Amino acid sequence: MSSPLDQRRLMVLDADSGFVRVLANRVARVGWHLDVRLAPIAVETLAAMRLDALLLDPRALPGAGEDYVIAVCEALPALAVIVCSERSTTAERVRALRLGVDDWVTKPCHPEEVLARVEAITRRRLRAQAPVPPDAFVAGDLEIRADRFQAFVNGRSVELTRREFEVLSMLVKAEGRVLERADIYERVWGYTMVRGDRSVDVFVRKLRAKIERVSPGWCYVHTHFGVGYRFQAEPRDSSDEPRKSAHFTARSHAGP
Amino acid sequence: MRSLSGVIAPRDRQFFDLFEEAGRNILRASDLLDQMLRGYPDKANLARDILICEQEGDRITHDIIERLNKTFVTPIDREDIYSLASALDDIVDFTEEVADYLGLYKIEAPMEQAQRLAHILLEASRAIAECLPRLRGFGDISHYTVEINRLENDGDRVTREAVAALFEGATDPMVVIRWKDIYERLEEAIDSTERAANILEGIVLKNA
Repeated sequence: MSSPLDQRRLMVLDADSGFVRVLANRVARVGWHLDVRLAPIAVETLAAMRLDALLLDPRALPGAGEDYVIAVCEALPALAVIVCSERSTTAERVRALRLGVDDWVTKPCHPEEVLARVEAITRRRLRAQAPVPPDAFVAGDLEIRADRFQAFVNGRSVELTRREFEVLSMLVKAEGRVLERADIYERVWGYTMVRGDRSVDVFVRKLRAKIERVSPGWCYVHTHFGVGYRFQAEPRDSSDEPRKSAHFTARSHAGP
Repeated sequence: MRSLSGVIAPRDRQFFDLFEEAGRNILRASDLLDQMLRGYPDKANLARDILICEQEGDRITHDIIERLNKTFVTPIDREDIYSLASALDDIVDFTEEVADYLGLYKIEAPMEQAQRLAHILLEASRAIAECLPRLRGFGDISHYTVEINRLENDGDRVTREAVAALFEGATDPMVVIRWKDIYERLEEAIDSTERAANILEGIVLKNA
C-alpha cells in the first residue's frame, strides 16, 4: 500500500454524481487520493494541492469552460488534465488537445476506462520526470546504466551479462574511437589477450544480438576488420544499412 | 594373378564392413567438432551429437573384438585388427574429449588455433575414411598415408604455436590451464589418425 507521501492525487470537477460515485470506488481501490469538487478551483489553489491529475467536465460546471482549462494547462504543465464530457465537436476536442489537455473521453463512458487513462498519463509523466541517474549514457534507443550494470531500451532491460555490459561500457566510453581487440580484452578481462583468442568477437556478437532484439532500428557496434570495434548509434534505413550517425548523448557522467 | 594370401584368405568380409563403418563415424565426429569450434559458443550443443558418435565408436570396436574372438581364421592378422580398431576408436575418443572439455572448462569463446586444429583433424579423418575401403583389396594407400602424415606435421606445428601463445605476456593462468589441456587432446586425436594410417600401411604391405 502506498504511503501518504507517494500517494497519487486526483481531483475531479464534475457534477455528475452517479459517474463520480462509481469512479470514486475505483479510485479508492487503486489507492489514490480523490478530491471531488462541484465548482472550479482557482489555479493557484490547484498548484498548492500538488495534484497528479485533474479530471473535469467543462460542460457540467459553470466557470470551468475552455478558458479555465487553458489557464490550468498553461499554469500547471506537469498536471495531467483529462476532459470527460458529453456532446462535443471534433473541433472542440482537437483544440483542447492542442492547447494542453492530455486526453478527452466522451460520456457515456466507463469509469474504469477513465481511471485507466488517468493512470496511463500520470505514469508516462512520472517516467518522463524521473531523475536522471548518474552515469547514464543515452545513444539511440539505448540507455546504459553503469549503476545497474545494465542497458535498457524504453525501460526494458537488454539482459546483458556482467561481461557483456563491461565490453559495451568500454566501447561507449571510447566515444566513437575504434578500440583494438587486445585493448578491450586487457581492460575487461584484466589479462593480456592470448593470440588467437576469439573472446572479444564472441562477446561483441552476443552483445549485438541482444541489443538488436530490443532495438532493431539502430546499429550500435561497428566492426573495423583486422582492428577492432567502435560504438556509434546509427539508425538503420529500410535496406538495413546504417545511415547517418546520431549524436552520442551523455546525460550525465563522471568520467570519459 | 592373385597372391597366395588372396587365395587362402577367409571369406569373412565383416571386419572390413566394420572398419568402414568406423571410418564414417570418425569423419562424422570430427566434422561435428569442426562445426562446433567454428560456431562456438552458439553450436556448443553439438557436443551431444559427438558423444553419440563416441558411443557408436565404442559399439563398433566392441563388435570388431567380439567378432575377432569368435573367428578362427581372420582376413588379416589378429593383432593388426585389434591395433587398428583401437587406433580408430582413439580418434573418436579424443575428439569427444575435446568437445566435452569445452563444456567442462566453461570455455566462453574459441581460439583460432583450436579451430585450425579441428580442421586438420577433419581433413585427416576424411583421409582415413576414404582410405579404409581400399583395405578390402589391399590396394595402394600411400596417397592417404602421405597426406595424413603431412596433416599430422601441420597439427604438431599449430599445437606448438598455440601452446607458445598461451605463455606470451601476462595471460590468465586459467586460460593457460584450460587451453593447454584442450590443445593436447586435439593433438592426440590427430596423432591417432597417423597411428591408424601407419597400421593400415603395415596391413597393406603384409597382405599385398
